Amino acid sequence: MMKFDTIIIGGGLAGMHTACRLQKSGQRTVVISKGISLHKPDFSEYRSLGGRILMGDSVIRGEFEGGNILAVYTENLGQNRLEADNFILASGKFLSGGLVADMEQIYEPLFGLDVEYDRDRNHWFAPFDEHQGFMSFGVKADELSRPFLNGRIIINLYAAGEILAGVDPTETDSVGKILAHTEAIADRILGNA
Amino acid sequence: MENSLDQCIKCAECTVYCPVLKATDSYPGPKKAGPDGERLRLKDRVFFEDNLKMCLNCKRCEVVCPSGVKIADIIQRARHRHGRPIPGIRDMMLASTDLTGSLAVPFSGIINPVLKNGAVRAVLDCTLGIDRHCTLPEYAQETFESIFKKRFSRQQQSYPRKVNYFHGCYVNYNYPQLGSDFVKLMNALGFGVSLIRDERCCGVPLMSNGMFKQATRNAESNVNVLSGTEGPVIATSSTCLFTMRDEYPAVLGVDNSSIRERLTLAVKFIYESVSSGKVRLAFREGWKARAAYHVPCHMERLGWGIFTLELLGMIPGLELMELDSNCCGMAGTYGFKKENYGLSQQIGSALFSQISGRNPDFVICECETCKWQIEMSTGYKVLNPVSLLAEALDLKKTAKLNQPALP
Repeated sequence: MMKFDTIIIGGGLAGMHTACRLQKSGQRTVVISKGISLHKPDFSEYRSLGGRILMGDSVIRGEFEGGNILAVYTENLGQNRLEADNFILASGKFLSGGLVADMEQIYEPLFGLDVEYDRDRNHWFAPFDEHQGFMSFGVKADELSRPFLNGRIIINLYAAGEILAGVDPTETDSVGKILAHTEAIADRILGNA
Repeated sequence: MENSLDQCIKCAECTVYCPVLKATDSYPGPKKAGPDGERLRLKDRVFFEDNLKMCLNCKRCEVVCPSGVKIADIIQRARHRHGRPIPGIRDMMLASTDLTGSLAVPFSGIINPVLKNGAVRAVLDCTLGIDRHCTLPEYAQETFESIFKKRFSRQQQSYPRKVNYFHGCYVNYNYPQLGSDFVKLMNALGFGVSLIRDERCCGVPLMSNGMFKQATRNAESNVNVLSGTEGPVIATSSTCLFTMRDEYPAVLGVDNSSIRERLTLAVKFIYESVSSGKVRLAFREGWKARAAYHVPCHMERLGWGIFTLELLGMIPGLELMELDSNCCGMAGTYGFKKENYGLSQQIGSALFSQISGRNPDFVICECETCKWQIEMSTGYKVLNPVSLLAEALDLKKTAKLNQPALP
């Protein structure tokens, strides 16, 4: 068993930004990152702040109870339960496997969270030079960025970055938007807002 | 074996993080040597390139791959399948750790000073191709197995809980101190230690020198012997453990499913025993040190570095710095070879300069070959976390805490 204040799933732009911010504010955090994101975050700073990184590891399941997520288990750590007060899901969109699309549906593979997308598959994509519908599909969340599981909010889980519905990484100002949004999540976790 | 090369999306993240490619452009890089090259090799052996042996098998490509491609496994399997190396006398010597070790230990009093001699090193450089700048690991005066028999074996029966210890060649022939530290530590935690009957070298030096047939023989023998044991099989070396756990099936095709779940590393076993409340620790009062932790490549691939950090984090007097995750460049016996020495030093340079910048009392690391490289290239002493823990603990008090309740 390992206990943290916040567990961050995904070591990309949104995940590392929030992790650094929380670790700097005195929290004990861990980032679980499947691989290295193309954003090439600065792990060195996070490490020197005492942050833990599980690089090349993936979450295989979560433990939920009464609208809360209590713990996750990863592939490399086996039976070791990773507990935390808060969790951040920043696993990205399709390229990083945060969302999966098959012929019938689009789903979030880790916890099976509710996903917002157009049910008509013909609207998912468009000719090459036009806006692609699938780029703004994502996990449905409330105004505090908490996602839904079978219509119920998970109280201590936050969705951050590209995985969120409405966040389109092809938009020109998407990075700024994502960073501002992760700041708001960190503030909420730290009790500043 | 799943054909993970189809999962490659050509993002080239592995190429960016390959330590060999950072130091030289004569290696094609993990993406080209791995999934890309494999497509061609599947068609015709003629596409096999000899420079695949430049791969250190550090597995960093697999750690950073966002698509889960087993890049280094693809490369090692290709070497296994297509490589036709005729190892020279040097490579055979460096690879056959069991043989050279058992021959050298009885004469260690003569061999150690001789190997330190500058003239001898110059001769080895010219004749065998072992670089003269290298410090070869010293041989022990007595093997760990013999020390264990004399000093420890009798009392092990008195502990109700038992573990098996895979000591590896380095502990047996070169550094029995680590083995003794492990036995003392496990005894204090309330576990009796048994050695493995007819333990053989895990095979990693054989594999890296292209001697896959001998490595497979060792793997089959070890799996066979270990399946006759009960309870956890613990290693102190991350490389021995990783090889037996993951490379036996993935590279050598040796089925280890009968023992894989019981194979573990000392730091993981101890951390799990402490965190689940099965074991309690009492630390020495007033003990203080500043240490830097270097995560060996195979530890990074296992994803188990966090166990060392969390376990050592329990030591009250220890200031522990985590170094950036970098390859030291030694890769087993690679860095000893004259043709690789310069490249090996260049690969490790980022790590060396970070260590001297932090100026710790010593470096912590689970891998013996990283230890050779760091000690020889930086002058800082390198300790296995097991030895550090044995030093920081009050072993007598700890033993009392973990004594089985009397019936």
